[in-house]
Amino acid sequence: MGVVEELHELRERALTDISSAQDTSALSDVRVAYLGKKGSLTGVLRGLGSLSAQERPTVGKTSNEVRRALEAALDSRKSELEATELQERMDAGALDVTLPGRRRAQGHQHLIQRITREIVEVFVGLGYTVAEGPEVEMEYYNFTALNHTPHHPARSASDTFYVRDRSEGAVVSATGQSDVLLRTHTSPVQIRTMEENDPPIYIIAPGRVYRRDIADPSHLPMFTQVEGIVVDENITFGDLKGTLDHVVQAIFGEGRRTRFRPHFFPFTEPSAEVDVSCGICDGAGCRFCQGTGWLEILGCGMVDPNVFGHAGVDTDRFNGFAFGMGVERIAALKYGIPDLRMLVEGDMRFLRQF
Amino acid sequence: MRVSMKWLKELVDVDLPLGEFKDLLDMTGTAVEAVHTTGEALDGVFVGQIVTREKHPEADKLWVTTVDVGADENLTIVCGAQNFEAGDKVPVATLGSELPNGMKIKKAKLRGVVSMGMNCSAIELGLGTDADGLMILPADAPIGTPFAEYHQMSDTVIELEVTPNRPDCLSMAGVAREVGAITSRKASVPASIPDEVGAPIADSVRVTIADQDLCPRYTARLIRNVKVGPSPEWLAERVTAAGSRSVSNVVDVTNYVMYELGQPLHAFDADTLAVDTDGKAHIHVRRATSGEHLVTLDDQDRALNTEMCMITDPSGPVALGGVMGGLSTEVTDSTVNILLEAASFDGPNVSHTSRSLALISEASTRFERGVDPAGCIAALDRAAALFAEVAGGEVAPGVIDEYPVVSEPRPLTLRVGYANKVLGTDIPSAEMSAILARLGLTVEGEDVLTVQVPTFRPDLEREIDLVEEVVRVWGMERVQSTLPAGRAGGLNSVQRWRERVGHVLRAGSLNETMTYSFIDPEDAERLRIPVPEGHVPVELINPMSGEQAVMRHTLAAGLLRSVSYNLRRGNPDVHLYEIGATYVGTMGKAQARETETLAVALAGSWNRAQWNEPEVELGFFDGKGVVESIMEELGVEGWRTVATGLPFLQPGRSVQIQVRGQMVGWLGEVHPQVLDAYEVDAPVTMFELSLKSLYAAAKEVRPYTEVPRMPAVTMDIALLVDESVAGESLLHAIRKAGGNLLESSRLFDVYRGTGVPEGKKSMAIALTWRAADRTLSDDDVAPAYERMLKKVAGNLGAELRG
Repeated sequence: MGVVEELHELRERALTDISSAQDTSALSDVRVAYLGKKGSLTGVLRGLGSLSAQERPTVGKTSNEVRRALEAALDSRKSELEATELQERMDAGALDVTLPGRRRAQGHQHLIQRITREIVEVFVGLGYTVAEGPEVEMEYYNFTALNHTPHHPARSASDTFYVRDRSEGAVVSATGQSDVLLRTHTSPVQIRTMEENDPPIYIIAPGRVYRRDIADPSHLPMFTQVEGIVVDENITFGDLKGTLDHVVQAIFGEGRRTRFRPHFFPFTEPSAEVDVSCGICDGAGCRFCQGTGWLEILGCGMVDPNVFGHAGVDTDRFNGFAFGMGVERIAALKYGIPDLRMLVEGDMRFLRQF
Repeated sequence: MRVSMKWLKELVDVDLPLGEFKDLLDMTGTAVEAVHTTGEALDGVFVGQIVTREKHPEADKLWVTTVDVGADENLTIVCGAQNFEAGDKVPVATLGSELPNGMKIKKAKLRGVVSMGMNCSAIELGLGTDADGLMILPADAPIGTPFAEYHQMSDTVIELEVTPNRPDCLSMAGVAREVGAITSRKASVPASIPDEVGAPIADSVRVTIADQDLCPRYTARLIRNVKVGPSPEWLAERVTAAGSRSVSNVVDVTNYVMYELGQPLHAFDADTLAVDTDGKAHIHVRRATSGEHLVTLDDQDRALNTEMCMITDPSGPVALGGVMGGLSTEVTDSTVNILLEAASFDGPNVSHTSRSLALISEASTRFERGVDPAGCIAALDRAAALFAEVAGGEVAPGVIDEYPVVSEPRPLTLRVGYANKVLGTDIPSAEMSAILARLGLTVEGEDVLTVQVPTFRPDLEREIDLVEEVVRVWGMERVQSTLPAGRAGGLNSVQRWRERVGHVLRAGSLNETMTYSFIDPEDAERLRIPVPEGHVPVELINPMSGEQAVMRHTLAAGLLRSVSYNLRRGNPDVHLYEIGATYVGTMGKAQARETETLAVALAGSWNRAQWNEPEVELGFFDGKGVVESIMEELGVEGWRTVATGLPFLQPGRSVQIQVRGQMVGWLGEVHPQVLDAYEVDAPVTMFELSLKSLYAAAKEVRPYTEVPRMPAVTMDIALLVDESVAGESLLHAIRKAGGNLLESSRLFDVYRGTGVPEGKKSMAIALTWRAADRTLSDDDVAPAYERMLKKVAGNLGAELRG
């Protein structure tokens, strides 16, 4: 058998060995066996020198062809085997992906703060700033400056928490009232803001307020309000309507309608209560809205000139509007909270829902 | 205010469907709170006609009738009455109806004849007392009409929410005027002039007012020879619809006129009033004197104070002015002569009296809001005429009228342009005038309206009040919505810091809660956290309960209660935070000092054991980690924890938190005895921080420091130190001694046990050395390292562990 035939035979053998190698290490052995320093093909090439000058080119050519063929076959088999082995490794590493992930539980914001913040964001978007003030307030800022008559029922010790006045010569009246109280609304912040700043004023005042209601499913002696006031030139009742329309839709969702019902508040004139159309029946009337189609959510009005008088605002030049809403009520309406007391119990199962 | 629609329709023409009428009232400021329908009990009772009348075959006294009630077939009804003939019209109760006496009409067999209903007597329908036979109706009664409708028994009563500024709407006449204004109809005001007979009132009665501030007007009439008895049906029906019980003709008349005209009246039995030396009954109005008493109509002996307005006769008090009459001068069945009072009392004073006696009456609620003094005489005349009509009374000539300062209409002007400017509207002058006129105001002028406000509208004091009247009647819904021009808004830096603190806490698995601002005065002691030195608690004068009597000086009490609440309800893992004010008072200062504060409470573990994560009980270092995160977020520099014993925290597990030497809070595991006091049976880690102090120390902008590009040399070492050496001291010493090249030192293990001598601990620390400008070699690091070891050995006795 001539050398060329030998080479062909070697190629056939090698190709068989390559295709039957079962893993990359067996394949590597095959490579060494044929192409290594002591490999079969290497041996043939090494013997080239002993061939005749006639044979040498043919044998040389053939052996190069065989080498290239083997290298190509080795490479292709190698990637084949590597792919298989990778697949096997990955198969072995497969997880039960249905198991729960590894995490620390997410913390939650309190529902009331969350809603308050939503409201604040809406007003910040309208160019308002956020004003804050004391919760232990002077009677003057809570009532007198807000145009409550000296005998207004809200001042009574049955409605308002009074605080022991630590100033010298302070007295508690026969009816249990003093000059210091827990604010019953955040409106005193409006007076303080107007005292300290010149118009234009566009503020909202979120915060805790207190009224002497026994805690029950729909009342808490402590609750949260967001009130606001605008003082500027050329402010109209239409501006008040437009502002609250926008805010109500931002809080309750687009498509919810508002209606303004005339009402009475000591600190605004004209005054109105604002209803939002019932989200359950869309105004048709259902049990949730007690058949009216509307849910009361806001009180508002044009700032009473007497209030501006107390706060030192020039009523010839400026006018404005004010509004207030109870965050707990919005929570109850929007999230269906059945009992407001849950908001102050701190039950983790409740807090983590929002 | 309860308004009978039947009554209202006599005063003003209301032809709107009820739903629309209700909406119109709602949208003009008089909210309808409820709607009741009366006369429903007679559902199923119709006007019927007896078609045939036959003797019952089995019973002498019964009749078998066939009755036409407008249905397809006549009904066969067995009937025991004797007073009717075929062709008579009678009320017929059909099957399924229920009568006011509770009788349910069912199919019944009477001596073998099936009866399909019942022909009714008046008493069976709750009308009158005549039980002798069927109620025979006029021949023109339409067959098949519901009886309640035919007899006009059905009424709709609407309950109005009258706002405090509208005392005029606490009467039917006032509501009618308001309805007239909002529906553009003319309302009528009921009035009567009584026929007078006998000796004038002035011959036998005298009235004086000592305290005109409490009683600006007192008027009276004398009615003789009344016959006290039951009220006629119409009167009883009216006062019942308005919400009173029908008592007697005399009492009902006074209530009726109060409901109708809004003026409370009081009727004295004139013969029970003590007479003066001149022989006249002398009504004197004055403040009560100290120690006086009065037994009121409700048989309660009332102790009076010197601010209360009394109606007296020479023997003493006979009525609490504007609130309630006295028992001794009450009208009784045997009363013959009546002295009728119509007066005006000071609202705030009546309010004060009725509240301090816990005695609220229809009269007091009206006076509290304000009753028009100009209306007294009309009310007296109206009531006197009714006394004559329904109780046979004889009205003595003349009225007594003590009215020292007469209330006059108030002049106001309304600038049409101003009104439109405030409202953002373009309402024509004529429309404004028309609205105000319909409300009973006198209006003149074009661009500037000159207005006379009648005394029944005390709420209209200023131009802006007229603007409200205009927009409320014109329609708030017609005002075009607009938005004020845009401007820049936003949060201030403290508000932004607060948001960031919240984000850090929630990212750290904490849940925000809210607890009451008031706590138990005992909490300071129970918690062992006293009110800070130099301050006093903020005390409520009128708390809801003794457990909520002071404002919190710490958030810890509320949070511990929430922890306890959770544990008792089977929530072992508690991660709570609250941000809110704490309050302390200062002697000599009226207002409290309020400090924005954060508190955190941790109990249990972050989560129950999971397949890939073990359960780790939360403790001191979990709390400390949260504090570290907050400080990092706020960029607070120079803060540290100082190990200190605090009485409410567990010894050895408590620190003060300081910023540049000033205490800003505390952190630790709560003392077991404090936990016991709050019924908490699991370890709790808490901390409290003054956010006010942290905001002041927070750093908004932290300058860039270069990110290292050169490689570092790292080494792990273990140092043996005495137990008494605090970790912080060792790390501090290493950092200080390591020089410029020491980039960081991280404590990664603390070990005690085999190989470590008793009383010592091994602290394993990873050191990273780096220079900003070159690659460090071991030769660079070695001298610095040796120097550092030498220093910590010298300062803290630390020795390198083999």
